[in-house]
Amino acid sequence: MNKKILWALPLTFIAVLFYWPIARITALGLSGDWLATLGTSKNLNLIWFTLWQAGLSTIITLVIAIPGAYVLYRKSFPGRLVIRALITVPFVLPSIVVAVGFTVFRNTHDFWIDIGLTFLSSPVYWIIAAHVFVNYSIAVRTIGGVWANMDAETEQAAELDGAGRLRTVFSISLPQLRPAIFSAAALVFLFSATSFGIVLVLGGGQVQTIETAIYFAATQFLDLEGAAALVVVQTLITGVAFLVGSSLAKGTVGLEQVFEASPKPRVDSRDLPAAVVTGSVVAGLVAMPMILVVFQAFRVGSGFGLQNFANLSTRGARDLLNISVVEAAGNSLRNMAVAAIIAFLLGTVISWLLVRTKHKVLDLVFLIPLGVSSVVLGFGFLISFDATWFALRSSWLIVPLAQALIALPLVIRLVYPALVAIGKEPIEQASIDGASPWQIWRFVEVGMIKAVLLTAFSYAAIISIGEFGASSFLAYGSQGTVPTLLFRLIARPGEQNYGMAMAISAILIIFSFLVVYLTSLQARTSRQSASA
Amino acid sequence: MKKLVLALVAMLFVSGCATNPKEPAPEKVILIAHDSFAISDLSIAEFEQQTGFGLEIIRAGDAGSLTNRLVLTKASPIADVVFGIDNTFRGIADQNGIIDGNLIEVDFSDVCFNYDRIWFEDRGQSPPVSWRELINPEFQGLTVVTNPQTSSPGLAFLATTVAAFGEDGFESYWKSLAANGVKVAAGWEEAYFTEFSGSSGKGKYPIVLSYCSSPAAEIREDGRSQTVALLDEGFRQTEYVGSLLGAKNPLGAKALIAYLLSESFQNTMPGLMYVYPVNKAAVIPPEWAEFGPAARSTIGADLDLEAGRQIWQAKWSAIFE
Repeated sequence: MNKKILWALPLTFIAVLFYWPIARITALGLSGDWLATLGTSKNLNLIWFTLWQAGLSTIITLVIAIPGAYVLYRKSFPGRLVIRALITVPFVLPSIVVAVGFTVFRNTHDFWIDIGLTFLSSPVYWIIAAHVFVNYSIAVRTIGGVWANMDAETEQAAELDGAGRLRTVFSISLPQLRPAIFSAAALVFLFSATSFGIVLVLGGGQVQTIETAIYFAATQFLDLEGAAALVVVQTLITGVAFLVGSSLAKGTVGLEQVFEASPKPRVDSRDLPAAVVTGSVVAGLVAMPMILVVFQAFRVGSGFGLQNFANLSTRGARDLLNISVVEAAGNSLRNMAVAAIIAFLLGTVISWLLVRTKHKVLDLVFLIPLGVSSVVLGFGFLISFDATWFALRSSWLIVPLAQALIALPLVIRLVYPALVAIGKEPIEQASIDGASPWQIWRFVEVGMIKAVLLTAFSYAAIISIGEFGASSFLAYGSQGTVPTLLFRLIARPGEQNYGMAMAISAILIIFSFLVVYLTSLQARTSRQSASA
Repeated sequence: MKKLVLALVAMLFVSGCATNPKEPAPEKVILIAHDSFAISDLSIAEFEQQTGFGLEIIRAGDAGSLTNRLVLTKASPIADVVFGIDNTFRGIADQNGIIDGNLIEVDFSDVCFNYDRIWFEDRGQSPPVSWRELINPEFQGLTVVTNPQTSSPGLAFLATTVAAFGEDGFESYWKSLAANGVKVAAGWEEAYFTEFSGSSGKGKYPIVLSYCSSPAAEIREDGRSQTVALLDEGFRQTEYVGSLLGAKNPLGAKALIAYLLSESFQNTMPGLMYVYPVNKAAVIPPEWAEFGPAARSTIGADLDLEAGRQIWQAKWSAIFE
C-alpha cells in the first residue's frame, strides 16, 4: 500500500515531464509526410554524417584509451593521480566550454594550415578531436577500472613463457576486457551522436548533425514537422546504441570510483610505447586546449591582466547579454540545486522501489529517458507546456525540471546497482531485529552506499551546471544560464566578448580540476583509513 | 559528509534566491528585440519617468530567431512588445498571428556592399562600382557575405539577386560568386567586425556585405571614412514594432511603442543602431549626409519574400554546402 503511494510520485513526474512531451513530438513528427522528409538527400546525408562521426570518434577514442588505461590503471608511477584527475576534467566540463577550448586550440593551427595541412581547417576534424577529448576519460576509466582489478597471474605466466607485452595484451588482456571495451564504446558513441554544443560552435552552422539540425529546423526555419521527424530518427539511433551497448557489456560497468585492491608494478622500459602514446595524448590533446584557454583568459591587449574577469559583471560589448555573467551564475546555481535535489531524491526513491519490486517494465520506463537527448527534451518542453492553464514554460522552474529529468536515469544507474549489491541479508537481519523500513533505509542501506549516493548527487549537479541543449530552447532573457551566455559570447566577435568567454571557461576548468583532484585524494585517504 | 552536502545545498538556495529579488515596484513592460537593438540609459530613464512603467529588455538573436521564438511561444507570450521583425520576416509574423493589431514601421536601412577605400588605394587597384561586378576576376577572393539562412542582410542580398536576375537566373550569379572565392560568414557581426579589413577586426577581406550607413561609423582622424558604400541597387530593410497578442501589459506596450516612435528616441537611432528613423522630425547626424546616405536606388520591394524564401534558401545551400 505504502509502496503504491511512493510509486505514484516518480511515475507522475516521468509521465508528465517525459512521456507527454515525447508523445507530442512523435505525433507531430509522424503527422506530415515524414518518410519523404527524411528521405531527402539533405537529411540522409545528415543521418549518415551523424553516424559516421560518432563511429569514428568512438574508434579513435578506444584506440588511444586502451594504452591509457594500461599505463594509468595497471601500472604505477609518480603523478598518476594528478594525470587521472586531469583527464577526468574534460568529462565534467560543460560541453560549451569544451567547444570554446577547441575554438582557441584551432586558432593556434593557422601555421600548419598555411604550410599545406588543409584538413586542419575542416570543422569536421575539430568536432571529432573535441569528442575524443571529452570521451577519452570515460573510456580510460571504464576500461582501466576493470583492468586494475584483473588477475595478473595469467599475464605474468604468459610473459614468463616468452610472450611479448603486445602479444600478452592482445591474446590475454583484451579478451578479458571485452565487456568493458564494449561498454565504453557504447557510451562514447551515444555521447558523440547526441553532442550538441560542440557541433554547434565548431561546425559554425555549416557542418550539422541530427542534433543541431533539430535545433536549426525548430528555431531558425520554424519547420516543426521536419524537426520532429528528425527527433524520431535520433531517438531510434540512441535507443539502439544503448541497447546494443548494454547487452554486449553484460552487467553494469559503471563510472563509479575504482577500487584498487593490489599495489601496481612500476612502469618499466617495455611499457615505453604505451607510455609515449598516453603522454602525447595527455599533453597534446587533453592538456593543451585547457592551458590555452587559461592563458587567453589573462590576456589583455598585448599584455596580461585581470580585465576579462572584471568584465564578467558587465553585459558584454554593445550590451549583447540580457544579464551579467555573475547574474547568470546565480541562475545556474539555483537551477543546479533544484535539479540535483529532485533528480537525487526521485532517483533514490525509484531505485529503492525497483529493488523491492523487480519489475522489468518499470525498470525500462525509467531507463528510456537515458536515450533521449537534451535538445529533444528542450524542444518537447517548448511545444508541450505552453497551454494557458499549465504555463510551465513561462516559469523559471522549467529549466531545472528538464535538467532533473536528464540526470534522473544516471542517478538510478548509480544507486540501483549499489542497492542490489547490498543483498538481502543485512536488510532481513535488521527487519528481524524489529527495524522499520525507514530505519533500515536510514541506518543500514544509506550507511552502506553513502559514497555512491554522494557520487550520484554530484553527477546530477554537474549535469545541471553544464547542460546546454535544453536550456538553449528554454532559458532566455533574465533566465540565461552560464552555458547559454557563454554560447552568445563565443558566437559574437569582439575582443571584450571573447575575453569574457575565456575568463568563464578558465574559471570552470580550474574549478573542475580542483574538485576532481581533491575528490580523488579524499577517496583514497578514506579507503586507506577504512582498510587500516 | 552529509552535513557538507546540506550546507552546500543551503548555500546554493540562498545565493539562488539572492539573485532574484522581488519584482521592482513599478509595473514592468517587457521588450523583446534582436541582438542589434540598442538604447541609451538616458532613454530608458526618460521612458520610465514619463510613463511610470519599468522597462525590461530581452535580446533574442537575429531577426529570424526572434520571430520564430515568438511564434513558438505565442500561447503565452514572453514579452509585451517586439522590436525588429523586418520585411523579410514579416510574413511569418502575419501568418502566425502573433501581433495584436498591426506591425508599425520604426526604422529602415539599406543593405549594400562596402569596400575598404584604403586597401584599394594602397594597391592602386580600382574598387567595384556595383555588386554585379563581384564575380569578375579582379575581385577574386576579396568579398565576404553572410549566410542567407542565418542572417537577415544575407537574406536581403539573396533577394536582391533574385530581383535582379529573376527566379531562373540568380543561381548562376551565385555559382560565379562561389567560383570567385566568396567567403560566407554566419552572421553580419562576424563578417563585418572579424572578416572585413575596413573595420575594427582588420580582417582579410576588403569587400563586405553591410549597410549604406556603415561608412559613417568608420570615420578616421583625417575626417574621412575608411570605407565606401555601393549605393546602387540596394535592398531596403524596414523594421517594425508591435505589441504581442496576449501581452500581459497591453497599456505598457502601448506606451512603449509610442516612446519608440517619439522624436526623442528616434533621434538616437542613427548613432546607436545605424538605421534611419521613420519619424520625419528626427534629426539625422550631419556626417550621415556625407558618409552614410540612404541608397540611391533599391530593388526587390515587390518580391513575395514569404513565398520565395525557402525555395531560394534551398537553392542557395545547394550551391554552398
